[in-house]
Amino acid sequence: MKVWLGLVLILAGAAVVAACAGHEWASPVDLARALAGDGSLRSRLLVEWRMPRVLAAALVGVLLGLGGAVFQGVFRNPLAEPYLLGSAGGAALGATVALLVPLGLSQSLLLPALAFAGAWGATVLVIGVSRVAGAVDAAGMLLAGVAVAAVLGALRSFVMLALSDETVSLQIVLSWVLGGVQTPTWPILGLLAVLSAACLGLTLLFARGLDMIGLGEVMATAFGLDVNRFVALAVLAGSVVVAAAVAFGGLVAFVGLAAPHIARWLVGPMHRPLLPASALVGASIVTIADAIARAALPPSEIPLGLVTAVAGGPFFVLLLAHRLRT
Amino acid sequence: MTTISADGLFLKRGGATLLAGLSLSLGPASSVAVIGPNGAGKSMLLKTLAGIETPTAGRVCVGDHDLALLSSAARARQIGYLPQHFEPHWDLRVAELVRLGAERMGHQARDAADRAIARFGLGLLCARRWSTLSGGERARVLLAMVLAVDPPALLADEPAASLDIRHRIDVVQALVARATDRLSVVVMHDLDLTFRFFDNVIVMDAGRIVAHGRAQNVFDDLRLDSAFGVRFERLKTPYGGLLRPK
Repeated sequence: MKVWLGLVLILAGAAVVAACAGHEWASPVDLARALAGDGSLRSRLLVEWRMPRVLAAALVGVLLGLGGAVFQGVFRNPLAEPYLLGSAGGAALGATVALLVPLGLSQSLLLPALAFAGAWGATVLVIGVSRVAGAVDAAGMLLAGVAVAAVLGALRSFVMLALSDETVSLQIVLSWVLGGVQTPTWPILGLLAVLSAACLGLTLLFARGLDMIGLGEVMATAFGLDVNRFVALAVLAGSVVVAAAVAFGGLVAFVGLAAPHIARWLVGPMHRPLLPASALVGASIVTIADAIARAALPPSEIPLGLVTAVAGGPFFVLLLAHRLRT
Repeated sequence: MTTISADGLFLKRGGATLLAGLSLSLGPASSVAVIGPNGAGKSMLLKTLAGIETPTAGRVCVGDHDLALLSSAARARQIGYLPQHFEPHWDLRVAELVRLGAERMGHQARDAADRAIARFGLGLLCARRWSTLSGGERARVLLAMVLAVDPPALLADEPAASLDIRHRIDVVQALVARATDRLSVVVMHDLDLTFRFFDNVIVMDAGRIVAHGRAQNVFDDLRLDSAFGVRFERLKTPYGGLLRPK
């Protein structure tokens, strides 16, 4: 119980700090005044721009934490990450098409939609390829993921070369790939919140099966789990979660890898507590990282994926050292 | 009335024939040891009977049902399987492991887990993590996980092979004791314990059953010698027969 209270308090603290941080720093008093509805421009900017952005970052973190926990559970590998099965390559291809191909639609909708479709489509493709190749187990899926990612990467490079003659549009593509939470309107934020809650519910349905498969495929089968079917369904569900995260936050590195780890230290490896704990940890990490991205080098903004990657590198080394010691 | 039967089982993997046309029928209340040299197909027979391996040809029946047509959950309630090696991927606590074993009971899982913990004397170990347990403790936890739901048929693959003699006897006794009203099929390496504790013995060689009968009869059967490729001297002791390679 103490752990949960601690996690919620850390997230709340992170959100307050993140709402204060930015190009122009605000004090908690400013935040309270803005929420109370004083009509000054400064307060309106806080409510219309910064607070939705902070909450969106937290929700992207929730999705990455959930997706990472599902993928690590399915592949029973603490180094598995949510972009493993082609979703990063697929999302990047979708975003590149949205940014470079003149489709005559509003980009604010097109970009998340195509990124989502690319991320999810790539994982569906990976499952399809592994089925056709007759390798339906986890190892077969990983290999199919490598193959699909290679082909999608090549396709994306081709689209970039073929459709951009000005460097500007290439830079837009690059900065999207490096990750970054778009500032949503309040209705879109509501959509994201509903989506995140649905993803939490969806992944919790898989908690028992993820625990079972953690006993090994033979024991999971002996205990009545249809392993191949479960792996395919869990991967499909996990990739929906990751695709939603990518659609709203771009390719944010390391969070999906690190959040389940930290959560496992706090609440243990059983998935019913692990999934929500991983969501809370992921939310805290992305909230802080997004605040750093906005506030570190004003007036420009550092891509969020760079912040998490720079912080994630040392974390990874610590993790390796910890594993070697135990 | 049979609990498990197999008819014309073939299992081929990568050009090798692991089970070569094997049929058997095992009754509802008996303890059956499966013995044979390495590579005889003992483990594969157990996995095929448990529904973990799918036979290339032939079929397995549980009661009146074709195993291939049963749902995974229904199969898991009928047949328990104790693997040769078990290593969970996450470092779970004893209470969590037993609870996962008991999940097949549905809403009675908590009671079943509590009973298994009491029965195998795991109360003091509940909060311990798997990585901190000794070999004997691990064997007890694994038994509690699998027997939390005591299914009509239990298939155990050399569960005690790496334990010391005291723990080995404990595990074998636990598996044999339940066979007064259920079926226990156990792959055994230790021939002395086999003939001392089990009612029935199956001798396998090269994917086939070469002898199957009451333990006393199989003990005297010379096909035992040819399966293992040694000549046994048969010693009679007050505790039963002992086999000594000549």
